[in-house]
Amino acid sequence: MTAILESLDPRVKRMGITAENLNAFPTPPENDQFATYQVIIEPKEGKGYESAGIVHAPDAEIAFLFGKEQYSRRFTCSGMAVAATADVLASPFTENKISVYDLLEYASLEENNSAGEFYEVFHLYKRGKQHSHWGRVKAVNPEQALYEAKEAYDHSKPVYNIWLIASDNIFFADENIKQIWDTLPLKTHRDVRDYKAQDKINAYKERIKSNL
Amino acid sequence: MYGGGNSFEHLDLDRSLENEDPQLLAEFEARIARGEKIEPSDWMPALYRKQLIRMIEQHAHSEIIGALPEGTWITRAPGFKRKMALMAKVQDEVGHAQLLYAAAETLGKPREKMIEDLINGKSKYSNIFNYPAYTWADSTVISWLVDAGAIVNQLANSKGSYGPYCRALDRICAEEAFHLKYGHHSVIHLSTGSAKQREMVQAALNRWWTPLMHFFGPPDKMSTHTEILTRWKVKMSTNDENRQQFLDMYVPKIWDLGLTIPDPNLKKNETTEKWEYTEPDWEEFKRVINGDGPCNKERLAVRRRAEERGAWVRKAIMKPVEKPVTPLA
Amino acid sequence: MNQLAIKELLYKIADDQLILGHRNSEWTGVGPTLEEDIAFSSMAQDKVGQSLAFYKLLHNMGENDPDTVAFMRNAEQFHNCQLVELPSGEYDFSLIRHFLFDFAESARFRRLSESSVKDIADVANKLKGEIKYHTMHANIWIKKLGNATDESIERLQSALNYAFPYALGIFEKSPFETDLIENGVFVGEAQLQEEWLEEVQNVINQTQLILPTVTDEEIKYGGRIGKHTNHLQPLLTEMSEVFKIDPTAEW
Repeated sequence: MTAILESLDPRVKRMGITAENLNAFPTPPENDQFATYQVIIEPKEGKGYESAGIVHAPDAEIAFLFGKEQYSRRFTCSGMAVAATADVLASPFTENKISVYDLLEYASLEENNSAGEFYEVFHLYKRGKQHSHWGRVKAVNPEQALYEAKEAYDHSKPVYNIWLIASDNIFFADENIKQIWDTLPLKTHRDVRDYKAQDKINAYKERIKSNL
Repeated sequence: MYGGGNSFEHLDLDRSLENEDPQLLAEFEARIARGEKIEPSDWMPALYRKQLIRMIEQHAHSEIIGALPEGTWITRAPGFKRKMALMAKVQDEVGHAQLLYAAAETLGKPREKMIEDLINGKSKYSNIFNYPAYTWADSTVISWLVDAGAIVNQLANSKGSYGPYCRALDRICAEEAFHLKYGHHSVIHLSTGSAKQREMVQAALNRWWTPLMHFFGPPDKMSTHTEILTRWKVKMSTNDENRQQFLDMYVPKIWDLGLTIPDPNLKKNETTEKWEYTEPDWEEFKRVINGDGPCNKERLAVRRRAEERGAWVRKAIMKPVEKPVTPLA
Repeated sequence: MNQLAIKELLYKIADDQLILGHRNSEWTGVGPTLEEDIAFSSMAQDKVGQSLAFYKLLHNMGENDPDTVAFMRNAEQFHNCQLVELPSGEYDFSLIRHFLFDFAESARFRRLSESSVKDIADVANKLKGEIKYHTMHANIWIKKLGNATDESIERLQSALNYAFPYALGIFEKSPFETDLIENGVFVGEAQLQEEWLEEVQNVINQTQLILPTVTDEEIKYGGRIGKHTNHLQPLLTEMSEVFKIDPTAEW
């Protein structure tokens, strides 16, 4: 089959588009959808982690590769974590100054500090904004984790939604790979500040004026 | 890069709302009226969901297809500065598609299904990307003015009611600022450069003016009524409002460069404070949106070929998901 | 120290990065998944950015400005290895090339960061983190696809068989090799090849792929002295099409 598309794009000419591609697409496979991973970013040392969005990936390792360039290719970044969406336990949403914690029923607690596992707790302080990492608690189950978080949180702001992720299910970038973000400040080609040209306009206008 | 025109056809209001629970509907509307965002797990009317999927999906398609006309010049960008900027700019468009598909997915439509609908020609994308970028100057005019038009629409939409869409747009608008600056910078260099460069950029502007006027969609008097979508903060501004705002912001900047806009009737009416212009050919708009533009076939063929070439990679690393989970936010 | 020797070293590094970055940018907008499209594009941008850093060093040494050097030379004036100029082909080849090249680059930068020429060592140090992501990306993908389906293994294997003789061409010796080594500028291509081979072998061992055996005669040398495949000149012609409309203009 010969390529038939006369594109203006030399890249497209090399893609080998045939009469068949031009008109039909074969039925895609039944299950062609990757799982999604939540990507959580710390933009600057000490600023804290905040949810950035999701990536489609087959596993956490690739989710990390993908998350890095989709969510931290500009400005600065000091850390990143990924967790499968399926591993995030989300509370119901509240609204209108009512905090999720207000609706939390008192759970009967088994005082046992040695048992249990860690959970990372994320808060949504404003609908339409991103969840931010509030802290971590130790608990025997998610219900207790919520209660522990309620105890420890200062309730300075209402929380409209909570995410709990068992610490074992969230993957933070190791210290020794954080250098992958070192050159971000050098990537000025992605930054508006690299494209100032008012001088050119002024000089041009001067030129026109003096030619009149 | 999406102008927002033509996304809300076929509204059948009477039928769509009759099955909704009035109590839930009232709470939903009160939340929006209060200025709070709707999040994915909140109750929402079926019509709201349907129209949002339609709008966000079209927006996402426009980004991924929008990567193609400018992509034409990636391997030919003149000089390091342009080469790196254009690569980053087109990359951002792909990134925006990714963010928007994710927002649409929270409403229940899987990404692969959306991409399938795109390449099978079932869903629409912004008409403007069905026009060719003949020269380097075309790519600079796209980067500046098409992105400028998109920003007008996207900034308005970022004040809308659906949380995930707002989150995506916050990030997108921040990135578009670079596109706009880069595009303007490139057009400035051509406009203030050699005679040949000026000629190139003027010719490109002539080619892109009509598609740019089309970009915001048909005039309000020709469009479907969308009061309910306005009340629900899905549609945040009308086609004419967007077009007027674009003209207001960019016509002076274009004139500032000594370029001529190919519409002798274009002027601002000082009394009404509105721009007056020759209506672009809306028959052409309809023709192109229905598939008969200069590049419709190529754009979809390239997407199909890209999907086809990547299929083995996806298949190799695919782990079947037992129960699909939609993204949380 | 012989300035020509240093220039020759810098030219081959910069030319490699420019040509590979250019090739890899062909995937921007048409990659195998949206996220991989973005990741691969970033690395292409990094490569072009790295080449610019080295052309700037050359400019400081009296060579032409980076745009002129990159956009106005003909194929026989380029010092890149032949591996980077080959057409992008399908994703299997592009990935294998990325894997083979970026591990070589990573080893080269590690050694350059110890260079007696401070400017070179500084650039190499500065870019280390960036290259770390590139090798991490290559490493993960080769391990996944090299252990996945029959199709993916077969595709990678045939791409590897094709690319490997070219990859060995990366280490074509410079006429100034001894000079560079004795003056502590650079450890030399032979040593570099050894370090590279060990790392590449280590990744390949964790897959179902086999590193092909290549005889000395089969290695694709020549790029470093301006002998190229038929693919480089068309690439350069395309790359400079707009620039050459008016090389004195500001674009």
